[in-house]
Amino acid sequence: MKVQWLQRFYRRILSGSYRSIRTKLLFCFLIVTLIPLLSLGALSYYQSARMINSQFGKYGENAVAQLEQQTNSSLSRMKQMSETIYSYLMDPARTDLGNRAPVTYNEIIEKNDFEALLTSLRTDLTAGIYIITPSGYYYGENNLDVNKLGNIPAWKAKPASYQGTYWLGFYMQNHASSSESDSSPPVLGLAMPIHNSNGTHDGSTILIEENAQELLHMYRLFEEDTKAHLTIKAPDGRIVYKSASAITPKDSDIIWKRTLAVNQWTIEARLPSKAFYQSSGIIRSNTIIVAVISCILAFGLAYIFSSHFTSRIRTLKDSMQKVSFGKLDTRMPVEGRDELGSLDMSFNRMVSGVQTLIQEVEQSERLKKEAELRAFHYQINPHLLFNTLNSIQWKARLEGAEDIRQMLYHLTMVLEGNLDISQELITLGRELRMIEHFLKIQEIRYGAVFHYELHCREELKQYLIPRMTLQPLFENIFFHGFTDGIGVIELDVKEEAEELLLTIRDNGAGMTAEKLEHLFTAGPKRRGRGGLGVQNADQKFKLHFGPQYGLTVYSTKGEGTTIIIRWPQKEERSDGYSQEN
Amino acid sequence: MKKRISLIVLATTMMVSVLSACGGSGGSTDTAGQGESGSNGTKTLRFATWDTGDTLKIEQDIAKKFEAEHPGTKVQVEAYADGFDQKMAAGFGAGNPPDVMYMWDFPTYHQSLEPLDSFAEKDKDLNIDDFYKGLFNYGKIDGKLYGIPAGFTTRVVYYNKKLFDTAGIPYPKDGWTWSEFQDIAQKLTDKSKKQYGFGVRAENDTYDLQGLVWSNGGSFISPDGKTIDGYMNSKETAESIQMFGDMVKNGSAVLTGGKGQQSGDDIFKAGKIAMWESGIWPLESFKKAGIDVGTVEMPAFPGKPLKGVLAESALSIAKDSKQKDLAWEFIKFYVSDESIKMRVADLPVRQSVVTELKKDQDPLYKPYYTMLERSDNTPAFLLNPKWNEVNRQLSAAVEAVMHGSNAQDVLNQAVKDSERYMK
Repeated sequence: MKVQWLQRFYRRILSGSYRSIRTKLLFCFLIVTLIPLLSLGALSYYQSARMINSQFGKYGENAVAQLEQQTNSSLSRMKQMSETIYSYLMDPARTDLGNRAPVTYNEIIEKNDFEALLTSLRTDLTAGIYIITPSGYYYGENNLDVNKLGNIPAWKAKPASYQGTYWLGFYMQNHASSSESDSSPPVLGLAMPIHNSNGTHDGSTILIEENAQELLHMYRLFEEDTKAHLTIKAPDGRIVYKSASAITPKDSDIIWKRTLAVNQWTIEARLPSKAFYQSSGIIRSNTIIVAVISCILAFGLAYIFSSHFTSRIRTLKDSMQKVSFGKLDTRMPVEGRDELGSLDMSFNRMVSGVQTLIQEVEQSERLKKEAELRAFHYQINPHLLFNTLNSIQWKARLEGAEDIRQMLYHLTMVLEGNLDISQELITLGRELRMIEHFLKIQEIRYGAVFHYELHCREELKQYLIPRMTLQPLFENIFFHGFTDGIGVIELDVKEEAEELLLTIRDNGAGMTAEKLEHLFTAGPKRRGRGGLGVQNADQKFKLHFGPQYGLTVYSTKGEGTTIIIRWPQKEERSDGYSQEN
Repeated sequence: MKKRISLIVLATTMMVSVLSACGGSGGSTDTAGQGESGSNGTKTLRFATWDTGDTLKIEQDIAKKFEAEHPGTKVQVEAYADGFDQKMAAGFGAGNPPDVMYMWDFPTYHQSLEPLDSFAEKDKDLNIDDFYKGLFNYGKIDGKLYGIPAGFTTRVVYYNKKLFDTAGIPYPKDGWTWSEFQDIAQKLTDKSKKQYGFGVRAENDTYDLQGLVWSNGGSFISPDGKTIDGYMNSKETAESIQMFGDMVKNGSAVLTGGKGQQSGDDIFKAGKIAMWESGIWPLESFKKAGIDVGTVEMPAFPGKPLKGVLAESALSIAKDSKQKDLAWEFIKFYVSDESIKMRVADLPVRQSVVTELKKDQDPLYKPYYTMLERSDNTPAFLLNPKWNEVNRQLSAAVEAVMHGSNAQDVLNQAVKDSERYMK
């Protein structure tokens, strides 16, 4: 299960899928986090471990020195004591202190004096001061059983001819005469054989014992404290003291060693290197634990952060894909005001822009189609219409109805321009000629009651204009502006920079501002016919030349209307795009 | 990125705290040992005793009870045991003695002790009249009271009933004589069993022997305390001491307590001596050891009045003590009925307690009280301030007697050697 998950995880990381950004981010974060973290951890570990090790080393050194000092003071006290007693006994005046039990008054006085000295030598720590004579009699407190002296391990090992101080080491003081006192404290013993060939004390031994409880307690405290193994050795290799704990000496052990000044005993504290470095080991493991936890935390946070980050990118990408499939109403939820948020926002803006654009294109496509359909409808059979109109014209000529023939002729001319939908742009001259025909029809209808003025330079007539744009405007003038065809129409064409400026001015009825406003608003249901021509004409200019061109209408009710058309100069192409009639 | 920074800070803090925790263990050892100085609020009263073992245990219990009844007080019981005299001398010398201490040797130490008359007079709770008459004499120097009696004992003869029964000898009765004593001792000696009629201390305390000496009409010193010649070496004195030496010599008594010898108490407990002379101290241990023990008055010398010697322990307050009122409270508590009943190693100092416990009716305890009535001589150490010096010679002489020397000769010698201290 886990293995599978790991494998999947590896594949994810190694695969170059879209997750790679997340993986990169993740690793980036991890590196940024882990390098300072790990180096800090390692640094603090090494420094503190070094400090602690050196401190502990010094501490051990000092502790051993302290042990040495304490032991030394005990030993030197005992040695001094034995020397005092020795010199007292060497005094020739003490002849009454014999090797046997004193029985006479003088002997007893001497004994009492001597024992008073021994008592005065005692300190708090003194456990026993005895002078044991070869006869078995001894001086000192009456609590010694001479026969039990053999209980002292080193007592018998002492060579008979030993000179000077003989250290008995540590042992339990269990040579009391009274069986009842079961307290046998650990003591430190010193034996000093007396060699005085002429004196009475030859062969006696001074035995001094000092309570070693405190000393041993100190040793134990030291052992507990440092976990070290303590060994005290006499110069002859005899082991005086040894820690209870077993140890196998190794070369790597940390050793603190001291030699006692009094009797050349060596105190050796041996600490396995493992124990010595234990505290720094604790630091190390703690550091590692903390580092691992931090790594996991950093990894988790980086993972969450980066996946949050990449998931936003992914949603954006998904949305783009949706849009590419045509779902234009896809929008991104905007999270946050960061760069990704603004990216989301621009995406939304872009998609909505595309959407409206497409809607517009759709709209114009539809309109074009409708127009084409309408055109088909009108184109049904223009020949039939023309032939019929020609026939009617001939009939009218035969009948002598010159007016009707004239009207039919002009209508035919107008229609010819009107019905020829093969060309959308025609020359201005041709359009003006068609207007002439249209005006002729009106003239026949109303009589010569209106006045038409045209100001147009001949060279301007070659420029192109959308077909059938002027005729509806003129028709408007007659149907809405004039009453019974009476009025003045002025048409003025000017050149302005690269553009043409066409002005139609009449002195007809004009229109209200309200109506003027409605003139350009497209709507399927418009009341009346007025304005359709204006809108159509404007649309045509805009379609052909761009939205900045088109019609501008100025009108005042009762004073007439002025329409200004502006469009760019465009000449007919030589390939006969438009043909002259 | 904020998250990551705070994480690093967190991790660093954790690490630092871990490190400092590790570092702390190294240097914290030197803070130990500061708690010794008495904290404010608790007063520590130092009480010195020479007792050990069970007796010491009782004294500690009393101290604890006192602490319980006096909150904020701590009684530090200092058991000096054998080193008592040495420690006291050192303490007084250094001006740092215990506040309250056991005391018997008032001639030596009275100058370092606080006179207690004013305390005793002011404090009616003490009820001085309830104490046995005469106990106060021991604590008085030049008419001033330095010690309140805490316990006392007289000396009696202990006998092992079983050994008497086995030998078919009737138990000794009050009013017996030393010749009867010697006879019985002779009869109860069986060297094949290492059994002896009596035990003689190799190193006697001369104080304890005074009852014997007085009973024979002798003394160590003149009643005015100025002369020893003719007293310490008088015929009567020598005779009484010689008696013990003779018993050792003729084998009816065994030497005890010397070098390589068991103590008399131990031998009696082992059932190897039939009679033993001592104060009340070992009684409990004899009972505990399963000895069917009886007590009887000391024997008398024919035609002479029997005399006893009183060993008294008292409580004193050091002159240098800084809390004498508290010390007095402790002493009062120590000699109250309640405490007295706890202390079985002493005889009660209050008559009311004795009556209440019917101790004087108990045949085992009665001899102590009859001996008390006979203890009206003044011990030598109260008569001469230099007695300790004299005593060294006397002790040596007595010891020499026990080892076979002639009592008259060595006592003459001792007197001769001691004369210089009497001037």
